[in-house]
Amino acid sequence: MSIMVRWSEEKVIGAAPDESSLAAARKLARPGPWSDTGSNDVLVWGKCQGSGRTPYQVSVDIAAPAYRCSCPSRKFPCKHALALLLLWARGEAAEVSAETAGYAQEWVDQRGDRVATRERRHQGQQGQQADPVAQARRQADRLALMDAGIFDFARWLTDLARTGLAAARNQPYSWWDGVAARLVDAQLPGLAEQVRAMGSDVHARADWADHLLFHAGRWWALTKAWRMRDELTPREVADLRTAVGWARASAEILASEALPGPWLVLGACRSDEGRLQQQRTWLRGPDGTVVVVLDFAAQGQALATPRLAGAELDATLVQYPGSAPQRGMFTGPPVPRGLARSLGDGCSIAQALDMESAAVSLSPWQDRHPVLLAGVRFCLGDGGWLRDPAGDALPLVDAPLESLLTLTGGHPVDVFGELEDGRVRPLSVVVGQRVVTP
Amino acid sequence: MTWLDELRTSGLLGTGRHPAPLPPPDLGFRPPEGLPPEEFLLDQVALADVVTRAARRPDRAETARLPDPAPPDDAPEASGQAAHLLDLLLTQPPVGLELRNQLVTDWLQLAAESGLRVPHRLIPALLTLAATKQGVAEHLHPAIGIRGLWLQHLTRPADSGLPPGNGTEWAELGSADATMELERLRRSDPQAARDLLRTRWDTLSARERAADLGAFAIGLQPDDEDLLERALDDKAKSVREVAASLLDRLPSSARAGRMAARLRPLLGMKGLLRKKFEIDTPAEPDAAALRDGIAADPRSGEPDRLGRLDTIIRGAPLDVWTTAAGRNPAATLAMLEGETRVVNAILATAVLRGDLEWVRALFDVRRDVRLLHSLPSGEREDSLVRHIRGGSAEPMSLVPLLRDMPRPWGPQLTSEALRLITAKGGGQLAGMLADVLPVALPPEAADQCRRQLERPDDEAPRRRVLRDVVQYQSFRQSLTKAFR
Repeated sequence: MSIMVRWSEEKVIGAAPDESSLAAARKLARPGPWSDTGSNDVLVWGKCQGSGRTPYQVSVDIAAPAYRCSCPSRKFPCKHALALLLLWARGEAAEVSAETAGYAQEWVDQRGDRVATRERRHQGQQGQQADPVAQARRQADRLALMDAGIFDFARWLTDLARTGLAAARNQPYSWWDGVAARLVDAQLPGLAEQVRAMGSDVHARADWADHLLFHAGRWWALTKAWRMRDELTPREVADLRTAVGWARASAEILASEALPGPWLVLGACRSDEGRLQQQRTWLRGPDGTVVVVLDFAAQGQALATPRLAGAELDATLVQYPGSAPQRGMFTGPPVPRGLARSLGDGCSIAQALDMESAAVSLSPWQDRHPVLLAGVRFCLGDGGWLRDPAGDALPLVDAPLESLLTLTGGHPVDVFGELEDGRVRPLSVVVGQRVVTP
Repeated sequence: MTWLDELRTSGLLGTGRHPAPLPPPDLGFRPPEGLPPEEFLLDQVALADVVTRAARRPDRAETARLPDPAPPDDAPEASGQAAHLLDLLLTQPPVGLELRNQLVTDWLQLAAESGLRVPHRLIPALLTLAATKQGVAEHLHPAIGIRGLWLQHLTRPADSGLPPGNGTEWAELGSADATMELERLRRSDPQAARDLLRTRWDTLSARERAADLGAFAIGLQPDDEDLLERALDDKAKSVREVAASLLDRLPSSARAGRMAARLRPLLGMKGLLRKKFEIDTPAEPDAAALRDGIAADPRSGEPDRLGRLDTIIRGAPLDVWTTAAGRNPAATLAMLEGETRVVNAILATAVLRGDLEWVRALFDVRRDVRLLHSLPSGEREDSLVRHIRGGSAEPMSLVPLLRDMPRPWGPQLTSEALRLITAKGGGQLAGMLADVLPVALPPEAADQCRRQLERPDDEAPRRRVLRDVVQYQSFRQSLTKAFR
């Protein structure tokens, strides 16, 4: 197993050849000029739009470390490479990607021979994925960072409990942002994102007090689970990894068992989580397994084209470890082969909540569950409701209610959505033997 | 206080001020000894979080919020290219917003002619647009179909065109609704509206009387005179003013006769070869003149004698002038040369009464939008074309006239307008007509605009307007094709 160690900002700063390069890099370290960024466990790459017509191609071997950029600068690393590393260190670009950009791969291949010779010379020094000693050391470094980060975060939570949530709500946004930045430095970007979101939620949500209280409890449980991770099952560890944002190398996922199709697209959703846009696509396989495929893009970049709800895709998928619903990844480009006339058999609202209960007891960090509800009707009233034939109801969230009412005409339909926080986010509905998205 | 409430309080205030409660024994948890208070709270909150999420129960929704399902649509859905074009107009308009709104309106009309309806998924965006754009709102039905109507009733009852005060007695309506109701009745049955107001007259406040009487501007007729005459004696000045202004529009009324008697003595003649009117100012108003709405002396300063003359002119029949002159309206106007203020008053009166003979005569000396508006539509265009061909017209003075013409324009007006726009310096005129020109020019004009665009032209506003015309016409053509 190989682990990508995300550099801290200090480490990037340490790599700068001089002050002026660093200052120039800081100016460039915003998502605007960057495109096609990505990373795997040894490389970070991206294109930066300079003053010229063609963007500069930047590749960084983070293990060596070594830098390459198509710009004419004679400094190593140049401002582009530094800026890319800064963005990556802050978790604002270059998310883990299955496909290495062509130019980066080429460069690696060219260097491969040279690195290999150097590897033979310095047995067990940096550079190659296959070197177990170096890997173990990188892993230990990362874990030490994370342990310290979790310890720090637990202390912040006890302070929060002692001084009270009301006091926390009076803090400026920068206070939350500071906590999040420390979590990023400690290689815990998943937690950082949650804390950042909380900084705005405490002012945006009417139920902020409960929202913050329960999340604090959940975070607290997470710090405890982290400390006893040696006693957890692999599945539980995987869920924990997802919760703290410890990315996995795609190579490692691709090595797991491939699940054959056809995969039915149940629905898709785009969300904008601060610095990162996310697209979730829910799919169901022939044996009923439901997986979610995640696509990411930095602000201002285009996300992958959304899949059409109701489409049947010929593709094989691999699953990330963890509790259901597991995250999946296509092993190759999926081929659409037709449209389904329905999404299958749905359940009642009571059954959906029972499934949520079961899922929470399996993995307390899961807060989003796919549901397919049968014969429900959309109703009006603060944000809208879904009502099933038994008379049970659930409130909607992020629902374009007018559009849903128009499409369904107030008649009972099957609805696929995400159950989150006791509310449903409807993603697709089945109307007249067609799957439509509002 | 439940365990959860206790946890909330402790969490909000902080364990420093409010220690955490003990967990309820029936949960079966025993906390370890000697925990710091904040950890004691956090442990329990973590438990409460999972318990809450694992024990969610559905709400019971009252049926009141459940809308009645929509009846089935009876018209076929517009599909293919037609649906695609509407989608484009609503979501990514390829033209400016003004043109977009016009094209959406065109789409709705074409759909109605072909008996097709808007696809369901596009209804919400269309209703949102109609909420701010009157032109679109007026053509929503029947194209939005049963489903669209259903949604309108459900989410925007105010826009769905239900008459206010359905089934309530007029007397019980709020004053604004009562006035609207009276206006509606006035359109369909002026007599009934008059009787209704007459019976309720004494129970209304001054403001209501003035507003309700104002409704009589719709379908004003000689039979209304009694009520208006009575209103001249009203206590409230606002009611008296409304009555006087309505009587101004009835040249056969008793008040008009009284005004004629006041006007005649003021009209003298001078000049031997070219006769001209010599007009006196009216004397102090007596009680009858005051009742007819002629202004009393102010408390201080000079009385506005010219204002009084205006009031008399507007109230008197126009034939007082032709009789005094012994000539037709055009010749009578020639005798009023230089009397700007008097001619203005005559103009306002002719427009208000829709007196065609006077309107035509006036339009030859005054190019006023109001006059053009009072002409029958065929004649309007001819008069304007004649006026433009007369060549004395300042292009910019044509802007209000052209903007006000019924659209699309006929071939003659089109060619005159294009001649002016494409002439040297016509860019400014084009700019002032930018928003109406695409719709005003008939489809045939698009070719001429296209040819004009092929020539070098350094007047940017003109290029932009012509491009708009071409864009609109070609999009409109795609629409008609899509519905064929």
